[in-house]
Amino acid sequence: MLPLCSLFHQFILRALLREKLRTALTILGISLGVGVVVAIRLANSNALGSFRAATEAVAGETTLEITGTAGRFDELRLRELSWLRDYGRLSPVVTGYAMTEPTSATEKKGEFLQILGVDILRDRLLRQYDLLQLREGDREPNAREFLLLLADSQAVVVTEKFARRQGLTLGSTFTLIISDRKSEFVIRGLLRDEGPARALDGNFVLMDLAAAQWAFQRLGSLDRVDLKLAPGVAVEVAEAEITKRLPQGLVIVRPAARYSQMEKMIAAFHFNLNALASIALLVGLFLIYNTVSISVLTRREEIGMLRAVGTGRGVVLALFMGEACLLASMGAGLGLGLGQLMAKAAVQATSTTVETFYLAVVNPGATQPLQGVEGAMAVGLTLLLALGAATRPAFEAAQVAPLEAIRGPERLLKSRQWSWRAPVAACGLLILGGLLSRLAPVNGLPVYGYSAALALVLGGVLCTPIILWTMCRQGDRRLIRLPRLLPVERLLARASLGAAIPRVAISVGALAVSLAMMVSVSIMIGSFRETVVYWIEQTLRADIYARPLTRVTSIAEGDIDPAALALVAADPAVVAIDALSVQRVNFQGNTISLAGGDYAVLFDHGRLLFKAPQDAYDQLRRGIGRDVVSVSESFALRFGKGPGDVVELPTPLGLRPFEVIAVFYDYSSNHGVAVMDRTTYFRYFPAARPSSLSIYLQPGANPEEVRSRLASAVGSRYLVVFNTNRGLREEALRIFDSTFAITYALELIAIAVAGLGVMATLMTLILERRREFALLSMLGMTRGQMRRMLMIEAVYIGAAGQCIGLIIGVLLSLVLIYVINVQSFGWTIQFHVPMAFLAQSTLLILVAAAVAGLYPAARAMSANAAQGAREE
Amino acid sequence: MSGRIQKAEGRRQNGRKGGRKSLAFILAPVFCILASSFWLLFFSNDLVAEPIWREATPGYQFAFPRDHAAHTDYRIEWWYYTGNLATADGRRFGYQLTFFRTGITPEPSNPSRWTVRDLYMAHFALSDLTNQKFYAFEKLNRAGVGWAGAETNQYRVWNEGWEARLEGDQHILSAAEGNMQLALTLAPEKVPIIHGEHGVSQKGAAVGNASHYYSLTRLRTTGTLTINGEELPVSGSSWMDHEFGTSFLEPEQVGWDWFSLQLNDGRELMLFQIRRADGSIDPHSSGTLIEPDGRTIRLSQTDFTLTPTQPWRSPASGASYPMTWKIAAPAHGLHFLVRAAFPGQELQTTASTGVIYWEGSIIASSNDAAQGIIGRGYLEMTGYIGKRMGAVFDAVTP
Repeated sequence: MLPLCSLFHQFILRALLREKLRTALTILGISLGVGVVVAIRLANSNALGSFRAATEAVAGETTLEITGTAGRFDELRLRELSWLRDYGRLSPVVTGYAMTEPTSATEKKGEFLQILGVDILRDRLLRQYDLLQLREGDREPNAREFLLLLADSQAVVVTEKFARRQGLTLGSTFTLIISDRKSEFVIRGLLRDEGPARALDGNFVLMDLAAAQWAFQRLGSLDRVDLKLAPGVAVEVAEAEITKRLPQGLVIVRPAARYSQMEKMIAAFHFNLNALASIALLVGLFLIYNTVSISVLTRREEIGMLRAVGTGRGVVLALFMGEACLLASMGAGLGLGLGQLMAKAAVQATSTTVETFYLAVVNPGATQPLQGVEGAMAVGLTLLLALGAATRPAFEAAQVAPLEAIRGPERLLKSRQWSWRAPVAACGLLILGGLLSRLAPVNGLPVYGYSAALALVLGGVLCTPIILWTMCRQGDRRLIRLPRLLPVERLLARASLGAAIPRVAISVGALAVSLAMMVSVSIMIGSFRETVVYWIEQTLRADIYARPLTRVTSIAEGDIDPAALALVAADPAVVAIDALSVQRVNFQGNTISLAGGDYAVLFDHGRLLFKAPQDAYDQLRRGIGRDVVSVSESFALRFGKGPGDVVELPTPLGLRPFEVIAVFYDYSSNHGVAVMDRTTYFRYFPAARPSSLSIYLQPGANPEEVRSRLASAVGSRYLVVFNTNRGLREEALRIFDSTFAITYALELIAIAVAGLGVMATLMTLILERRREFALLSMLGMTRGQMRRMLMIEAVYIGAAGQCIGLIIGVLLSLVLIYVINVQSFGWTIQFHVPMAFLAQSTLLILVAAAVAGLYPAARAMSANAAQGAREE
Repeated sequence: MSGRIQKAEGRRQNGRKGGRKSLAFILAPVFCILASSFWLLFFSNDLVAEPIWREATPGYQFAFPRDHAAHTDYRIEWWYYTGNLATADGRRFGYQLTFFRTGITPEPSNPSRWTVRDLYMAHFALSDLTNQKFYAFEKLNRAGVGWAGAETNQYRVWNEGWEARLEGDQHILSAAEGNMQLALTLAPEKVPIIHGEHGVSQKGAAVGNASHYYSLTRLRTTGTLTINGEELPVSGSSWMDHEFGTSFLEPEQVGWDWFSLQLNDGRELMLFQIRRADGSIDPHSSGTLIEPDGRTIRLSQTDFTLTPTQPWRSPASGASYPMTWKIAAPAHGLHFLVRAAFPGQELQTTASTGVIYWEGSIIASSNDAAQGIIGRGYLEMTGYIGKRMGAVFDAVTP
């Protein structure tokens, strides 16, 4: 009895080496699957990680933060808080983002910098500022000297990293854009890469508190007060006591809360990305199953022989499990590297979405390399899954009786038998999927939705043999009335494919899974796009839209100077302006937007699409001046509120009850928006400035002309961007499309993996049919006919895959649209099937399948024909 | 209190010339910054017509209680309280509670409340004479939303929770840091004593290097001290100095020794000497002798001698301070010894300003041992190590 490893070498390794192409395809498939998962994971952790790192770096030794219920608060309220000193050191903070000047005319935005405005006298005990001394022998300045460095309103301290990147040095002046203004600053100090300076890859600016208030035009208000507890004071105790004593309108939070809030918001998006990426890995696992199955099926004779010479069942099992392990570990190893390479692309592909919906500023720096532990876990998990995938074929191998070695020709009999179990299981899974899709999300994540999707997919896979069988037996006669082209080739192709169903079913199933995902995702995106296009057409009614330069997305900061607003209003062509003010606030642990708009203008000129109630307009009209809000659909879904419900919204005066009177459709954000009329809004936020303007023109005015007139009138003093209605629509759809680009990319990768599987299967089939080819050619079949026959087989496989893909895909798209999307993002999407796209992709799949059949066919022609004939 | 003079260089223009090397060193970066932002002068209105601080010039007419309050058109101002207290059972304590205001920008252009027009610093120290323990704390703040300040229309000066204010003619002091607290009521027993001549106490050769300076030399004091949580009713006698001006010391003036003494015979004595870089005593050193009835006798530098002995080396800073001084003013029949109640009364303000100085309770005794203790008071010694006291008041206004 040969030792196991030598047996492994002889029996498995050699075979793998002999079948170089198939082995390579399998490994490549797995590595792609692992790579995509790793890349998405890295991209996700990059987005969150940079936010967390920035949060932590800037928090320094802050243990607790006091802030307004609605964010920023009146600094005079500090006078009520002198008792807070007993708990430790206080440092008031003004913070926000500024943008560097775009370096070229084509560039739309510059780099974003986080500005931290503090009283350095107080703040130094909370945060570490390692001021780089330019003069030899100079010591670290004391608090007073540090303060005097920052004493005037143009003085800033920047990081050495930023200065180097921008070619600035101590004493340089440079321009920053804050909202709609440019300001000049002088660099008075450089920070080493320590403490807060590490935030955002060095895009950090330290200012004096007074200077920051001035620069942001936020005199009299603070973003928060950071508190470093005195030694010996327990955080929990202090937090509880302070919470009790804080006056209305102020709240206490831990610095990490901001991070976990963000994590919560972005979790659904990341979960969906992970799930999509996992499809490629899933398909890769099918490949392992497929490869091991084929290897078992084609070598029953040899297995029987091994058993006959006394090899135990356990050894046979170990051999094939070992094969799976080997393939999986090589694939996973390769996948790790591939993942790192793809991570950058994934970051880029996801950054638009992240910046549009979640984080105003994503760390521009390079992606973090994969952690050793994470890499090991990825490999381990892949191995485990691969072993799981290989279990069935390996056990089948172990069941081979020694006698079968002699019964060569009958080797396929067993697996050719039909089992009633598969269709029953398929039906069961499909029903299970339907049931799962009705369950509520878990922690805001559509866990059951994806479980339902998985059940549907598996159900679809189990249908594969039936579909293939139907196609081969009945299809040509009854179902598809094709012109009688190539009758001989088709007959033969059907016959041989029909005989090989057990072997091809798996790879066709894998192909079907990825195609189903493609179909479902394209239906979902197509439906979504139609919905958004309709929504844009209905609701974007203004002729011109204006925003401050820094407000590059709906969650970015920036507001418009009232003087700029007055300039716009003075234009003779302008008949009405709806100035929307937006404040991001913390509502029940989630970030939502509180907005104030002009209902009167909206009624006369604009339009909203309401989900409920029927008479929303009348309700709103009656609600003017009262504490009522209309909320976005995602708000309504996330917090379970509808018309008639009362929500306690955070305002500078504390939590105040507002009646929800309408729910409107909104696809511009998924974090929840509550809109009130400006009369109500300004009662709570008297200092609010507009974040964007919707400008309505006289009938007949040329929007393009007015736009350029406004741009030159306002633009000389304020950095306000004007967009015509058309420009904004294009921009919105551009963002929409780039948001979903990654989805398509992930699906294409899954299809590529499945394609590799089909190719590998075809190759095996062909090798097995050497004798048959020889016989056929002896009977007078030409090479051309034989090639066409093989291509037709490939097309059948593709067609079967696409057929299942379409059926399962439509079911999946229903789950995606009505379950996963609603649970993750809270959007209503009108179901819409992009027929043209599906027809096009079906054609493409068939052609691709035919092309994929070319290479195996060519190989069948060349090497094996002669050999096959000899054997016969 | 001539003491706490700063060595604010004669700052009339931006271009000060540091006489001492270390000064030049410290100022060099400031120059760089000034130079680099020089172009601002052409663009920024507030800098073109830079408002200047008022100088302390002869002829100032004091009026009380008005002059207890802040004089914000002068750059530098402080209120100094020191005193010797005892409990009924004879435990003795010294205290120091000082509020400083330094102007940074007289007319700031940024209307934010946080703009640093003035910086407020405060020092609070308790000397437990019986146990020879010393406790010192500091605060440094901008006015902001009223976390520190000095009112101009009535006397109230504060820094976070520490405060001095007038109630009738009584001064109410309060300060607390952890379980060390002070709550005292001070009642003046004499009229305010105005030092110097024509309302100015000259500190340097240049006109304007001077201050307006008065003292309340004997304040009957009652109240409580809390030492490590133990609340102790105390009574005793305090001394208050209030001084304001714009530029005080000159670069060659490296430090000073300042004495306030309450003699048992009903007289008080204030003396300060300014030490120059070359080791000599500056001719602008001076003093005031206050008679029991409040009449004053001005002592010029030539009228008195201060002879230091018994150096003590601070283990914390390494500075060496004399612990005993022989004081002589022969023309006025004054010959006595002054010694520190105990040595370890050094303040280190490393966190905020880096200034290190000795300020502590002292005991005056006659040269003739038989007469024993003839008075108590406070002594301040600066410029022995580290940053000059004056650095606390340096202004940097680009």
